[in-house]
Amino acid sequence: MNLIDKYIAEVGKHLPRKSRADIEAEIRSTLEDMLEERKQNAADDAAVTLLLKEYGSPRKVAESYVGPRYLIGPRMYPFFEMVTRIVLIVLFAVTLAGLGISLSKSSLVGVEFLKTVSESALGLLGGLITAFGNIVLVFAILERVLPKADFEKEMDDWDPKELASEPDPDRVGLGEQIFELIFLVLFLVVFNLYPGILGVGFFSDGEWTFIAPVLTKAFFSYLPWINILFLLQIGLNLYLLRKGYQNTVSRVANILLELADIVLAVVMLRGPALVAMTPEQFAGTPLADAADFFAKGANLLPLLVLGVVIIASSIEVAQGVNRLLKSRTSSPYPVIK
Amino acid sequence: MENDELVQNMLLELRRGVLSIAVLSQLSKEEYGYSLLKALSDKGLEIDQSTLYPLLRRLESQGLLQSDWRIVDEARPRRYYVISPQGRTVLNKLKQEWSAMAETMNQMLS
Repeated sequence: MNLIDKYIAEVGKHLPRKSRADIEAEIRSTLEDMLEERKQNAADDAAVTLLLKEYGSPRKVAESYVGPRYLIGPRMYPFFEMVTRIVLIVLFAVTLAGLGISLSKSSLVGVEFLKTVSESALGLLGGLITAFGNIVLVFAILERVLPKADFEKEMDDWDPKELASEPDPDRVGLGEQIFELIFLVLFLVVFNLYPGILGVGFFSDGEWTFIAPVLTKAFFSYLPWINILFLLQIGLNLYLLRKGYQNTVSRVANILLELADIVLAVVMLRGPALVAMTPEQFAGTPLADAADFFAKGANLLPLLVLGVVIIASSIEVAQGVNRLLKSRTSSPYPVIK
Repeated sequence: MENDELVQNMLLELRRGVLSIAVLSQLSKEEYGYSLLKALSDKGLEIDQSTLYPLLRRLESQGLLQSDWRIVDEARPRRYYVISPQGRTVLNKLKQEWSAMAETMNQMLS
């Protein structure tokens, strides 16, 4: 095997299998033509070395044939970046909130405190790397699975009129704000003034049976904090309704409120049970046959709701921070001094 | 130094744009890669092998060139390229566009 054979074999390593033999043959033919023109032969190592140096490194030559190759290409990259940012911020925020809560509840000091913090930091780092790896894996698969033709067709068929239906990210949705206000007010009224009316009624054998979930003392100990957060949220909703548009102040306020929601939800999640129902409460109802199951389900329900609150609020925080960073000055032009 | 680099990069882009027309124009008769490289060089268009060969493959995959491996005059096997009927049609169209573009640019730069 002479130098040219080795060079071609090296180029071939970086070429697609389908066209490898053909490209290798063409490179060999060209190299031999070049040697012939210089009146040299393949046995002259010095001449061949000079020629190969001139022709280029095997990797560079191979790249010129195959072009750039992507793990995640330009069409998927913007979505990949957006998903990565949201997932990593949420993961970071949730881990940080969890650490804060557990540290505030523990009596760790000195070395033990530092040990817990460093262990959490390492855990967080591992979690971030794993999450990032999984996102890359999913997008790399999507890159290969999704047909390119659809994407190109979408680009070609694009109509500027579609922009008219795009929502303005700064505009406040009237319906959304009013719905949120009604929900918040109802919650405050019911839980503060009429906690006994919460429950489910069953009509059986000509009479009504009413089951009220037994909210524990632990739940009511959190109620003042829930009230404060909900009142602040109502204030923000009213402010937004009046303004009609989001601004930096409202975005920052919303992020802070969502963060406070996460912290409170994590505290409630880690604290004592919020609902204490017993199978006996289901006696005389159509659910009596599976009373154990429904009692356990009712007791687990607050945990599910709090989990949803943490995830939804984390996404809100991530989106809010993202929009805040992207928000520009009122003029679309640069400031001219 | 910085300007030299900018000029080199821009020249590279400029040349890349005209290479396809240049290559198509020189393949009305059969040529193998290296002979085409020399033909272009003799006419003042220096082109790197690592640019020419991938370009030839691309033009062939677009149906603008045809090629086959052959042994001529007892030499080693070589791949010969020639413009296809579709390539001829495309080249004629490109020639017209090039003339119009060259005229416009000359007017702008004079």
